[in-house]
Amino acid sequence: MTSPVLTMKDVSIDFPTPAGIVNAVKSLSLTINPGVKVGFIGESGSGKTTTALAIMRMLAAPGRVSSGEILLGQDKTNVLTLSEEEMRRARLRRVSYIPQGAMNSLNPVMRVENQMWDAIVAHEGKTDLATLRSRSDAALESVGLPARVGRLHPHELSGGMKQRVCIALGVILTPELIIADEPTSALDVVTQRQVMETLTEVQTRIGCGLILIGHDMGLMAQSVDELAVLKDGVLVEHGTTRQIIENPQHPYTKDLISSVPLVGGETFLSPAVAAPASQKTGPEPLLEFRNVTKRYGNVTALQPMSFTLEGDVPQIISIVGQSGSGKSTMGSLMLGFNEPSDGQVLFEGKDISRLSTSEALGFRKNVQAVFQDPYACFNPFYRVEHALKFPFKRFGLSQSDAHTQTAMEEACQAVGLDPDLILRRYPHQLSGGQRQRLIVARALMLSPKLLIADEPVSMVDASLRASILKNIYDLKDKYGISILYITHDLATAYHVSDYVIVLYHGRVAEAGPPKEVIGNPQHPYTQLLIDSIPWPDMNRAWGTSNRFDAEAHLAKAEVQPTIYRGDVDGFNLSTQFA
Amino acid sequence: MGRIPRSYLINRVITLLLTVWIAATLIWIIPRLSPVDPAEIALGRMAAGAGSVANADEILAQLRASMGIDQPLLIQYLKYLGGALTFDFGLSTASFPTPVSQLIASALPWTLGLMILSLVITFVIGNLLGALMVWERSPNLVKVAIPAAMVFTSIPPILSGLLLMWVFSAQLQWFPLTGAYGLTVEPGWTWSFVQSVLHHGFLPAVSIVIVTFGFWALGMRGLMITVQGEDYVKLAEAKGLRPRYILYRYMIRNAILPQITAFALKIGLLVAGQVLVERIFAYNGMGKLLYDAILDQDFPVIQGISYVIILMTAVSVFLVDLIYPFIDPRIRHEGDT
Repeated sequence: MTSPVLTMKDVSIDFPTPAGIVNAVKSLSLTINPGVKVGFIGESGSGKTTTALAIMRMLAAPGRVSSGEILLGQDKTNVLTLSEEEMRRARLRRVSYIPQGAMNSLNPVMRVENQMWDAIVAHEGKTDLATLRSRSDAALESVGLPARVGRLHPHELSGGMKQRVCIALGVILTPELIIADEPTSALDVVTQRQVMETLTEVQTRIGCGLILIGHDMGLMAQSVDELAVLKDGVLVEHGTTRQIIENPQHPYTKDLISSVPLVGGETFLSPAVAAPASQKTGPEPLLEFRNVTKRYGNVTALQPMSFTLEGDVPQIISIVGQSGSGKSTMGSLMLGFNEPSDGQVLFEGKDISRLSTSEALGFRKNVQAVFQDPYACFNPFYRVEHALKFPFKRFGLSQSDAHTQTAMEEACQAVGLDPDLILRRYPHQLSGGQRQRLIVARALMLSPKLLIADEPVSMVDASLRASILKNIYDLKDKYGISILYITHDLATAYHVSDYVIVLYHGRVAEAGPPKEVIGNPQHPYTQLLIDSIPWPDMNRAWGTSNRFDAEAHLAKAEVQPTIYRGDVDGFNLSTQFA
Repeated sequence: MGRIPRSYLINRVITLLLTVWIAATLIWIIPRLSPVDPAEIALGRMAAGAGSVANADEILAQLRASMGIDQPLLIQYLKYLGGALTFDFGLSTASFPTPVSQLIASALPWTLGLMILSLVITFVIGNLLGALMVWERSPNLVKVAIPAAMVFTSIPPILSGLLLMWVFSAQLQWFPLTGAYGLTVEPGWTWSFVQSVLHHGFLPAVSIVIVTFGFWALGMRGLMITVQGEDYVKLAEAKGLRPRYILYRYMIRNAILPQITAFALKIGLLVAGQVLVERIFAYNGMGKLLYDAILDQDFPVIQGISYVIILMTAVSVFLVDLIYPFIDPRIRHEGDT
């Protein structure tokens, strides 16, 4: 029996605030053995990141460990009693931290390799350049990156590459413990799988312990050996992953597992019995793309595509794909934020780039949007009711102040928010989930005909995704609004949509009803996407472990023409290739 | 990165010339909107000197001819533009008939010396102090002392200048009261002259520094707070880097970038000098020249100085545009691939 790399005994962490002391973590005890991967899972605010930062002794002021011991390594060094300088030396060399926001975790003005060298020099003293370079090159190669990446600046790398650089940094001094804080939350499923493979590969090779922080039960099931479930700073359940996934004891753990929407699984929606009348007026199709192409310079973001969305019956059309597939480009074309390079985008038979001022006003009212980032959508200087009230009045929908108030309250209730608690607050006082619901409520107040939802749930906790999607689904189901749902999450697209379009490099790879496209994919690219979803099921392997296989697969996807998997009434799609 | 693409360079040079041309035109038009006739002012000055002037109309016409303001506006404008290209702004109306370029040439070096020196000192001190205000590991003394020192920023430079003069010149007699150099030294590249210039420039420079460092410190403080919250600073700490290294290479290095743009804009303005500071210390710089020219309605001099200010600003912005991609790798010269 080897001795553990980390022993936490009765650790409590307090944040003194003017309103009193907040106990962020309450007497947490845990040991981690070498070579073992432990997942910390829980919602935002459950104390998982706080615990990790306490191990690094990097708690944000005024947070402090109020009691307990954190013992690192076989020599049982208590990190809480080390001097500043000793703690500095322990970081990275003994315990390394792979941060959540890999997108911004590298110094933008330094080359990647310089940021590896400064870490080596800080711990081992000055060495010659050749040694440093050979070590950084080796570290980059160990995470599957070519050595030339070291010569680049961070902005020249993709998100997946940056995350791998952070992993390379984390293992460059072969630590005893690696803490990875949601290392893949900003990545799409295909990249997520590749990065997780890399991380577990290097971790196994150096035989260190690993703490993986996350909120996605599927990812945990496929990646870690043990699970620690945290809720409100309390460790509610701890055991092997199989034990917890297959036989969860605590109700909270059960919630976490069941909140993951599964392809083919039970639906989390409860559709209305009778379909509501559509918001559509007039005979023209609601939205039409006529041979639309979009190019940015030499890059074609969207290949020629035509479709008509009749809108006689409200429908949800999902557009899925990885980052860079052209799905957000489609969204901004529909909203008129971008003009097509060729072709036309028509709303109710009118080219949206040629609307008169009054038509444009009508278009803006009738086509609403919900965006990815619920934090950036509010003006921080106004109470949130302003965000609801202003467009309502601006579009001339308000009959009186009392009418506006009623409309706001109804919209809030429709998305499950208590108007009395919410409306008078400022944006920073609300959670991400509450903000995203407010954006949905704001769109609802204007009773639009069409809603463009661009990754509406990718930044909220997994446990909240289902309920926010339900709000969005209700817009169609109860209010008769047609929706274009842009996402990288196939499982939710499977449940909410009437028709799915899978985009790859600006081309339609596969399209049809979700049961066909996602339930039984035929196109190599769709197959890869489905394959990359981590399932919260221990008996279901997470696809291939060979990344070259994925590349061969993508090469096949590149040449495979569009596969049509059946039609639905009211939506027609056609593509043409030169 | 690397070399600057030619198309970008041509583009920037054209922008530079256009800016200067438009600005030069504006500073030509604006004084002509004034109802004051500079020839009458010159005549008035002569009359005040001699008691009375005979043949006033004739002299007035002569003055107008020699100032070139009897010609049609278009001709005046074209002549002005031609002059601007060769830094010929005609003759000063107040110190008639000294050429404007000569007045500027004799004042400019004094101001540039004083101002560039104090701007550089201010930039370094201000940004450093601003950074230390934010840095977690700054000694407490620094965190208390800097905001206290900021009080000086709100003191008008005339007052702080007078205070410095009273303490260091009048009471302690460490520094001379006024002037740019001593009366006993010959201007020239001799050690005693340089020594005298430095000796005389010290107090004005200090009074500018203590008044203006707050601008940089407060700006830097705001930028540092943003940078401090960046993920790369957090990761730098997690990497176990030395705190001082993080401060310089991760925090200040990134926070300073917008300040460099501000620095370029300040360079142009500094030609006009700290008018009041130069005035108090009787320092023969551009500020004093501009001040006198405004009092005397000396259009050619005002025009000449404004032109130099615009040229300096445009050129320093132009240089920053060229340099920026080298200090911030995220920015590229347009047309660079």
